[in-house]
Amino acid sequence: MPPRTIGEEFTKGLWHENPIFRQLLGMCPTLAVTNAVINGIAMGLATTFVLIFSSIVVSSIKKLIPNQVRIASYIVVIATFVTMADRFLAAFFPLISKDLGPYVPLIVVNCIILGRQEAFSSKNSVGRSFIDALGMSAGFILALLILSSIREILGAGTFLGHQFLGSWFEPWVIMILPPGAFITLGILIALTFVIEHKIKQRR
Amino acid sequence: MSLSSRMVIVLTSVGLISGALLSTVGILTKERIALNKQLEIENAIITVVQGTHTSEIIYEEKDLVVYGSKDENNQLIGFAVYASGTGFQDKIILMYGTNPTFTKIYRLTILEQKETPGLGAKITDKDAFLQFWENKDSSQPLTLRKPAARSPEELSPFEVNTITGATISSESVLNIVRLSLGKLMSLKKEGKLGNEE
Repeated sequence: MPPRTIGEEFTKGLWHENPIFRQLLGMCPTLAVTNAVINGIAMGLATTFVLIFSSIVVSSIKKLIPNQVRIASYIVVIATFVTMADRFLAAFFPLISKDLGPYVPLIVVNCIILGRQEAFSSKNSVGRSFIDALGMSAGFILALLILSSIREILGAGTFLGHQFLGSWFEPWVIMILPPGAFITLGILIALTFVIEHKIKQRR
Repeated sequence: MSLSSRMVIVLTSVGLISGALLSTVGILTKERIALNKQLEIENAIITVVQGTHTSEIIYEEKDLVVYGSKDENNQLIGFAVYASGTGFQDKIILMYGTNPTFTKIYRLTILEQKETPGLGAKITDKDAFLQFWENKDSSQPLTLRKPAARSPEELSPFEVNTITGATISSESVLNIVRLSLGKLMSLKKEGKLGNEE
């Protein structure tokens, strides 16, 4: 396979290797915080910060780290950035930090981040790792945005806290509860597979 | 260099660098985080005892803090009570304002909760829950109205509303208020709340 262009390195995270819809990574925060669009965006941005900086650090020190302790070192690097993001949110966005609760510290164990370090940053240059992290983060934010929009609109009748559907609409409370997350995610994953299949057939 | 010494050196340096970074971030954000907490409490006091000019802690124990609220003329106009207890999922932390004799509850606000989104979490919603807690008569034990009333006018002065589908959360809030009020009455009898008159 020929090496990917920089553009392909970025766009693969959006569709072909989308962390949520195609790789099914990072399911825990995806299911937990997408009950409101604002929470989805905040989680997406916090994860983006951690993913980009961890990828830069890991790809730049990859040659120094002995293979046997690589996972431990990556986790320490990731945990450092997660704690920084957590403190930053608590200091400057206390309301969002409260809403996200334990899910910010839990970014440490988000498989997207460790997965990218292990599968990509530890084998590629700093520049490519940065682009890869950017693409994966964009794909993650996109997925959270779609999921949380559907859940908030149907579950509360609002979008970003503003009334979206009229007063005639009786909110489907189940959509902002855990089952709503599983149902919506399941349908979205099925949809992406159908679309992917159609694209392949056309080729 | 042997592999094990390389492993030790790498892990130690990664740990040391991240430790240094984290303590810097910790120091830089510590004051701001404390300030946020303090602001949140101050805002809550002004919300629950309207007209508060100054407030100070007059009693403090685990899960119960009483703030005395004074107006511009330095007259005690009420107490803001910070109390917590168990909700449906996790701890609920709330604050309510009472008059100096604890016979009236001015307002209630929720500071922290992890109730079910869309159901129990409505305890933070003004229209769905908090407005039914305004100006309640606490000279008698408060009771829960079930099934829920649609407007505050339907409730008697001793009744507070239930959220449909979240009875346990509504009950938890009532219990936290009831228990803390009981505690306050006995503290007052013991003279531990100062001479408010």
